[in-house]
Amino acid sequence: MESTGEVPSNPAADEELHRRLVYGDESALAEVYAAYLPLVRRIAVRVTRTPGAAEDVAQEVFAQLWSRPYAYDPGRGTLRTWLSLLAHRRAVDWVRGEARHRKHAHADDDALRTVPEPGPGPDETVVDRERSLLLHSALAELPEPQREVVHLAYFAGRTYRQAAVELGIPEGTAKSRLRTALRSLAETLADPPDPARARGA
Amino acid sequence: MTEHEDVRELLAAWAFGALDAADADRVRPHLAGCESCAAEAERLRETVRLLDGPPIGGLPARPATGLPPALLARRPTAPRTAAHAACYAAAVQALRALLPEAEGRWATPVVHDWDVHATVAHLLAADEALAGRLGIPARVPETVLPQDMRWEEAWARRTADVIAHEHARTPGETVASWAGQADALLATPEARDPELAARAELLMGLRLPVADHFAVRAFETWIHTDDIGRALGLVVPPPPEPHLDQLVRLAVRVLGLALGPEATPVLFSVTDGEEWVLGSSAEPVAAELTLDPVDFCLLMGGRTAPEEVPRGATGDAAAVRNVLEAAASLAWL
Repeated sequence: MESTGEVPSNPAADEELHRRLVYGDESALAEVYAAYLPLVRRIAVRVTRTPGAAEDVAQEVFAQLWSRPYAYDPGRGTLRTWLSLLAHRRAVDWVRGEARHRKHAHADDDALRTVPEPGPGPDETVVDRERSLLLHSALAELPEPQREVVHLAYFAGRTYRQAAVELGIPEGTAKSRLRTALRSLAETLADPPDPARARGA
Repeated sequence: MTEHEDVRELLAAWAFGALDAADADRVRPHLAGCESCAAEAERLRETVRLLDGPPIGGLPARPATGLPPALLARRPTAPRTAAHAACYAAAVQALRALLPEAEGRWATPVVHDWDVHATVAHLLAADEALAGRLGIPARVPETVLPQDMRWEEAWARRTADVIAHEHARTPGETVASWAGQADALLATPEARDPELAARAELLMGLRLPVADHFAVRAFETWIHTDDIGRALGLVVPPPPEPHLDQLVRLAVRVLGLALGPEATPVLFSVTDGEEWVLGSSAEPVAAELTLDPVDFCLLMGGRTAPEEVPRGATGDAAAVRNVLEAAASLAWL
């Protein structure tokens, strides 16, 4: 993925931002928004593949941080990781909701059909979109320690060594978590789960 | 570990593009010569490619331009006040944001024999004294008390009445009453105008300018927010620096008054902050005492015991103990 050029994470800085968010300081929200909107949008677009929905998801992520600031605990991780995981979770939920909605609206439709993009794509593109969604669904279900490393490496453009520093874990652990995570994703494709279950139906 | 095993461990990071240049330089030549690693690498990279999905076309470039008003509106805006009341406005924001976390857990024990609901009811009662002086009518039927009752007892009786009254209502109604009264306090001319807030009022045994009574309200609101956070298992950060400084200065002033001019003088300071001489100004300083500003506030708020509070102290141990015990004895929360 493209490099991010975003601010480096710093636990003391996250703690101070969180303190100001809790006490209702709007300038703290503005700082977080400017620093992390690109990352949150990028994740939401990648999963929903729909710019409008991605923007809704992104706004919802920051609204959650602002209206329920205690849900983030700076003692347990960086703000970047927390926002990244939340954006992905919300985006996957949106797609699942959309799939459920479509299924109800068109009961005869192929249940595997995913959210349409503007204009019909070639069949290959449709299949790739389905697989991508299947993988993002599986990613959202991985244990949190694995998900955190994947998010930093894949969405936030960190090397596994940088991710290890950010998460406060040994480099070898970051490396092996990436490996375990990517292998289970690869196996999801080899042996796809029941599509109805994967979409939370 | 052999080179083969070593590179194999790196393949997932390689597939994610999460290798630095030196690591990548080790992977490339090995893949050229090792069929099994090349196959694994291809399988993993294909998985990442599928995670990417097909290219997404037609995305408008959207720079982040300021905060959308709809986002800001997801939380009630803090009223604009003068600096002396800003600490109370912020403390009210912090508690307001915490209370949705209590949904379904209102009966969780907090402090004394109060649950979360009763703690909010207590704050409704506690803010009422200042509200009354500033012309805001009480939201709970009056408690008839003898004129000569000590303030501590009157305070406890009123709290008990308000808690009993509020327990007959829903937690949401109690929160609305507390927040409504807090907003009314923050909308008074005294919250906006430092000159009007310079007038002294006797409340809770303390004769202080109204400006300082706002800081007392901030102090108590924060301490109880922290109580509720602990009960719910959530970390409540201390007030932001300028507000914390304001609370520390107030607490030092109250502590100085309680010690009186006869006490053995102690040079008191907060970590990385100001210092003050507490006690007699006629004698040389007998001891030095340094506390973390948050610990000092928790001591004054009765949330840390004087023998347990982490401290830096030198000199006359009895004089230091006298200061710590006086601080703890002031707690009314």
